[in-house]
Amino acid sequence: MKNPVTPFDDPKARFAAGLFGMWLLLIMLGVLFVSAILGYVAVRIDNGAEFIPANAPPLPLLLLLSTALLMVSSFTMQRALVAGRAGEASQGRWMVATLGLALGFLLTQWLAWRVLVGQQIGPSDNLYAWTFFVLTALHGAHVVGGLVPLAITTAHARRLEYTPSNYRGVAYCAMYWHFLGGAWLVLYATLWIGSRH
Amino acid sequence: MTTLDTRPITPPVTDNYLTFRRGFLSWAFTLDHKRIGVMYLVAVLSSFFVGGVMALLVRTKLLFPGEVSWMSNEEYNKAFTLHGAVMVFLVIIPSVPAALGNFVLPIMLGAKDVAFPRLNLFSFYLWVLGAICAVYSLLAGGFDTGWTFYTPYSSQSEAGGIIPVLIGVFILGFSSIFTGLNFIVTIHKLRPPGMTWFRMPLFLWAVYATAIIQVLATPVLGITVALLVVERAFQIGIFDASMGGDPVLFQHFFWFYSHPAVYIMVLPGMGIISEIIAVHSHRHIFGFRFIAFSSIAIAIFSFLVWGHHMFTSGQSPLMNVLFSAITFSVAIPSAVKVFNWLATLYKGSISLNTTMFYGLSFLFLFTIGGLTGIPLAVISTDIHLHDTYFVVAHFHYVMMGSALIAMIGGLHHWWPKMTGVMFSEFWGKIACAMVFVGFNLCFFTQFMLGSQGMPRRYYLYQPEFKMYHHISTGGSYIMGLGFLITAIYLIHSLFAGKKAPANPWGGASLEWQCSSPPPHDNFATTPRVGDCYDFSAVHWDESTQGYVVDAEAHIAAAHSGKGH
Ligand code: HEM
Ligand SMILES: [Cu+2]
Repeated sequence: MKNPVTPFDDPKARFAAGLFGMWLLLIMLGVLFVSAILGYVAVRIDNGAEFIPANAPPLPLLLLLSTALLMVSSFTMQRALVAGRAGEASQGRWMVATLGLALGFLLTQWLAWRVLVGQQIGPSDNLYAWTFFVLTALHGAHVVGGLVPLAITTAHARRLEYTPSNYRGVAYCAMYWHFLGGAWLVLYATLWIGSRH
Repeated sequence: MTTLDTRPITPPVTDNYLTFRRGFLSWAFTLDHKRIGVMYLVAVLSSFFVGGVMALLVRTKLLFPGEVSWMSNEEYNKAFTLHGAVMVFLVIIPSVPAALGNFVLPIMLGAKDVAFPRLNLFSFYLWVLGAICAVYSLLAGGFDTGWTFYTPYSSQSEAGGIIPVLIGVFILGFSSIFTGLNFIVTIHKLRPPGMTWFRMPLFLWAVYATAIIQVLATPVLGITVALLVVERAFQIGIFDASMGGDPVLFQHFFWFYSHPAVYIMVLPGMGIISEIIAVHSHRHIFGFRFIAFSSIAIAIFSFLVWGHHMFTSGQSPLMNVLFSAITFSVAIPSAVKVFNWLATLYKGSISLNTTMFYGLSFLFLFTIGGLTGIPLAVISTDIHLHDTYFVVAHFHYVMMGSALIAMIGGLHHWWPKMTGVMFSEFWGKIACAMVFVGFNLCFFTQFMLGSQGMPRRYYLYQPEFKMYHHISTGGSYIMGLGFLITAIYLIHSLFAGKKAPANPWGGASLEWQCSSPPPHDNFATTPRVGDCYDFSAVHWDESTQGYVVDAEAHIAAAHSGKGH
């Protein structure tokens, strides 16, 4: 049952409203991530150095690789946006690259988890490990959720559907993607500082 | 000689949003904000019925100071927890914004819909999903932690339904967030030409302030219950003291959301009261800017006072003092509103109808509710009153006596608009009076109980409390009957009610200038707006038995500054 009524007559006004809505969404998600991180910081500070068990390994080096992948994916996402806004043919390629890098990021995160579990540190062993797994899972869940809009945008971009007069989809997608990159940097930095005695 | 142009903005229509399309699917997949509002309304009122039955069960148990055969102590714990959780998460939080707000907000703006109609429908289905989780949790064994889900109860209780209900709360939280987000964008981007912020109805100011809280505070609840689910599932987490976690951290997180949430509940109610008081006393609202800004001030302050729920939880004395001091300051914007409403009533030509009965009830009950917050905000007295029936009485005066009464008032105010029929004023007044009397009997006694030391959430009590508990339960029955009568005459009006005119009360905001019920697309053309509290151009019209707004004069008055 389609709604014959659209609230906006003017596509420009509709785009402006969409961007505004995206900002609110990202602010909301920002509050969510910040509270999760603050919860970690609170128990980390409460417990002092005892928080880190004697046998705990350092953070897996693989995280550096996943960070790099995510940063590059932000770059390719931005290129896709620029190409979409100009209606250029490269929009499809840049989106495919972004999607691939996103999958690569998830794969490296998974491998990093495997490394920890291999070192006998699982999520229910101690609070140090629990916080690591839960916070990375929280971020990872947002990346997994982001795969859906990313895949849809990629499909549109491959059909070169983004034009200077309508590139809403790729614009919203880019906002979300850069947010996830920023959130990961903050999260990773916090976890790294927290992992030091 | 010029004749008065009394034509309504939209010509009389034969088709309205209810008849626009028919059939189940036309409702289930509707993107029309009015239909979504109506679906929310039905959902919220059904939940109110469930929560109300639970409340009556709890009160009935409390007729007896000892154990009873028909309700075990565990069942008692589950009953009051279910009551609280249903009333907070399924009823009061969505009631005004999602149900009434959805219906009126775009019409008040002269818009065709909210900014994101699909997101709006999605929010509704999230609500449904959350409600399903809550129902499922009952089948899985219920939950007995109190609506506050404090750890370690919630991480260790043996009740089987805790994880499902927490998931439900998580989902309901996102329903609320998306509604808030939608409304913020709608108010920013869809105001019609001429409607500056200071021409915007106060209901919308209140909904706007509420929406800010919904978007900024609810994610904290979301992450808190999510972490709690993980903690319960893995039996380890940051709220678990035995593993180096901190249960007080849970309380900080919970109240960082839930104190602002009490304003998610009451601010929209206050917005309704501003509309009711102005329209039904036919007088320009007094102190528009004060009321408008006090909504924003309340929204901001509400983020800074959560610690007043934790004076006895081992917070540092410095924090206690700070939270106590800031809490006092919240009383200021609340009082500003009350004084401005009183000033509006003063010398107004008050129509003492059912809606106004609810408006006046609100003023009385909110005053008591707000004032009794003060002894709770004083650290020394709170140590005595914390976790007693005094707190229960306080928050019922503000959540039920204020937020819910305002919602029912708003339901009556907009009932003719939503349904196209008038309800029985006679039964309306009787029912409102019963609710008012029953409410005070039920909850005023609880101030006495609490100050004499009756703890909350106990199924047992000392014999000397028996009289108060009996009066309280008696009051709850009167109140229940009042609500039952309300349900009956409202439903009856749907079938036998007199046809409602476009503007039965004499309102001047835009929703009174489209037909009752409104057409599918609200307005044929974007309407021009005047001052929505200027009633000088509103006239009684014998032929339609309703009021009409003389649009030209109304707008001209706004431009000449008349009516201020
Ligand atoms: C106007 C000024 C208000 C003040 C100064 C105030 C103060 C307080 C304080 C200090 C407490 C904690 C008492 C304790 O647990 O020992 C409290 C509890 C509560 N207040 Fe208020 N309050 C005010 C208004 C409101 C409003 C408007 C609402 C809701 C619409 C509200 C809802 C609640 C609830 C739900 C609780 C108890 C929650 C629980 O423990 O289950 N209050 N109030
Ligand atoms: Cu509070």
